[in-house]
Amino acid sequence: MRKKSSLTLTDLLIGSFLLLVCLFFVYRIKVGLNYNWAWDSIPQFIFRFDKENNEWVSGILMTGFYTTIRLSFWGIILATVFGVISGIAKTSSILFLRWLATTYVETMRNLPPLVIIFIAYFFVGDQLLSPLGIDDWAETLSPASQNILSILFAKPGYLTSFFAALMTLAIFEGAYITEIVRAGIESIDKGQWEASHALGLTWYQQMRHIILPQTFQRIMPPMAGQFISLIKDSSIVSVISIQELCFQGIELMTSTLHTIEIWTVVTLMYLTLTLPCSLLVEKLETRLNLSLR
Amino acid sequence: MTEKKFGDYIINVDNICKTFPNGVKALCNFSTNIRRAEVVVVIGPSGSGKSTFLRCLNGLEEIDSGSIIFDGIPLDDDKKNRLKIRREMGMVFQSFNLFPHMTVLENVTLAQQLVRKSSASVAKSVSMELLEKVGIQDKVASYPAQLSGGQQQRVAIARALALKPKVMLFDEATSALDPEMIGEVLDVMKTLANEGMTMICVTHELGFAREVSDWVIFMDEGRIIEGGTAEEFFSAPKEERTKGFLNQIL
Ligand SMILES: Nc1ncnc2c1ncn2[C@@H]1O[C@H](COP(=O)(O)OP(=O)(O)OP(=O)(O)O)[C@@H](O)[C@H]1O
Ligand SMILES: [Mg+2]
Repeated sequence: MRKKSSLTLTDLLIGSFLLLVCLFFVYRIKVGLNYNWAWDSIPQFIFRFDKENNEWVSGILMTGFYTTIRLSFWGIILATVFGVISGIAKTSSILFLRWLATTYVETMRNLPPLVIIFIAYFFVGDQLLSPLGIDDWAETLSPASQNILSILFAKPGYLTSFFAALMTLAIFEGAYITEIVRAGIESIDKGQWEASHALGLTWYQQMRHIILPQTFQRIMPPMAGQFISLIKDSSIVSVISIQELCFQGIELMTSTLHTIEIWTVVTLMYLTLTLPCSLLVEKLETRLNLSLR
Repeated sequence: MTEKKFGDYIINVDNICKTFPNGVKALCNFSTNIRRAEVVVVIGPSGSGKSTFLRCLNGLEEIDSGSIIFDGIPLDDDKKNRLKIRREMGMVFQSFNLFPHMTVLENVTLAQQLVRKSSASVAKSVSMELLEKVGIQDKVASYPAQLSGGQQQRVAIARALALKPKVMLFDEATSALDPEMIGEVLDVMKTLANEGMTMICVTHELGFAREVSDWVIFMDEGRIIEGGTAEEFFSAPKEERTKGFLNQIL
């Protein structure tokens, strides 16, 4: 159904009410708030000119933004891999696999993310990743490869904690993706299984060619929604000192006290990541509605 | 009708039983043998186990007891045997069950490449030939949702034929169709029958049964009540239940 896009009286009333609320806030900030505005000190936290090397370098908020992008990008990929595997396991006919996947999902969904972050970080980081000696190995690489590593992941010396945070985030979000994938697979008409079974396809061929392609088409919108959550949730790894956007924001705030300016910039930076995803969701939903008619 | 030459038995069904987990006895001591090139029509009231019989034949349902032997291969717990049997039987469903994310051509081509390991070009030419046979040659690039029910069902028949099956199973292939489309699907089925395909058809189309079937089975409550040639069966049914059923739907 297409909604009318013309303004009605109700729209005007709601609009003017919102305008009044905004004016009130501006008034409060101007008059009531005894705040030292320092917008001019903000740009240096985004980009600044390095006089020694004579070049522009990213400021502290921008480097945090990069880390958030890296975490989100790899997080989305890894979480999707985890979610798809365990989502398939959840619909498996093998009881043990179903139990395993259910245990995973329920653990992740019934614990506060902070608790998971700390447990997983110390387990994954200290027990699994540290012994691998990734950082020591990275130090021995050529500057060029070190450069590539730091563009893709993190600087040598920070790699172990970055991967630990990444894994934690992916494991956590993967649990939610599991449920999306499971529901998607179960929503496929059982006639599709039967027809492909009758054609003599093996289970793997059924999944690969018949079930999963249709599932992915269907779960695009909720998946994109989950990716937005992942981008937002990436801020929780600030508690384990990953220097992503929120962490940098907090650091700057305590040292400069320019609270409003800093968080305005941080807000805008998050929005540049999440808004495109939201628009994508909307696009996908209309397309899905069209194709299902 | 011209005399057909039947071959040896291709399917032996011996004393099979199927009880669903909810306690419904769908098949009880069900036995029948089917010869090559034979067209068997199965009729019976709703819930009598017709679909269950077809689904047991190609392993969509597991039987509890009894045995099914297809072309010398027993349908047992051996996964390889089950796969082999499925690949020699084509099945056409009441609800078509085409793959909606693939074009008509891809629907017909897919299994040839995955199951028979045909090359893309061979698979494509076989598919085009079959689609022409069922009269869909000008819609090969369409998606199933863009076709009418009758067209979809004809594609489904072509898809099942693509593996060159030894037997075709039809489960109420025309029941979901608008009346004006039933004929086009029945015509395809008649052509197949005349070409000597072994067919087991569950159907309510008695005209079709009369015209092409070599053997008619009437079943009720999971059992065969009566079987006979089309002529015997329709002109002189022996059992009271058969008479009742025929009176009801004629
Ligand atoms: N998956 C199932 N679980 C439980 N009971 C089932 C299942 N499938 C079929 N049945 C039951 O088994 C009996 C036989 O069903 P079947 O579908 O074989 O009948 P049918 O002769 O094909 O009927 P129709 O003409 O309505 O298609 C019915 O009583 C039905 O309710
Ligand atoms: Mg049925």
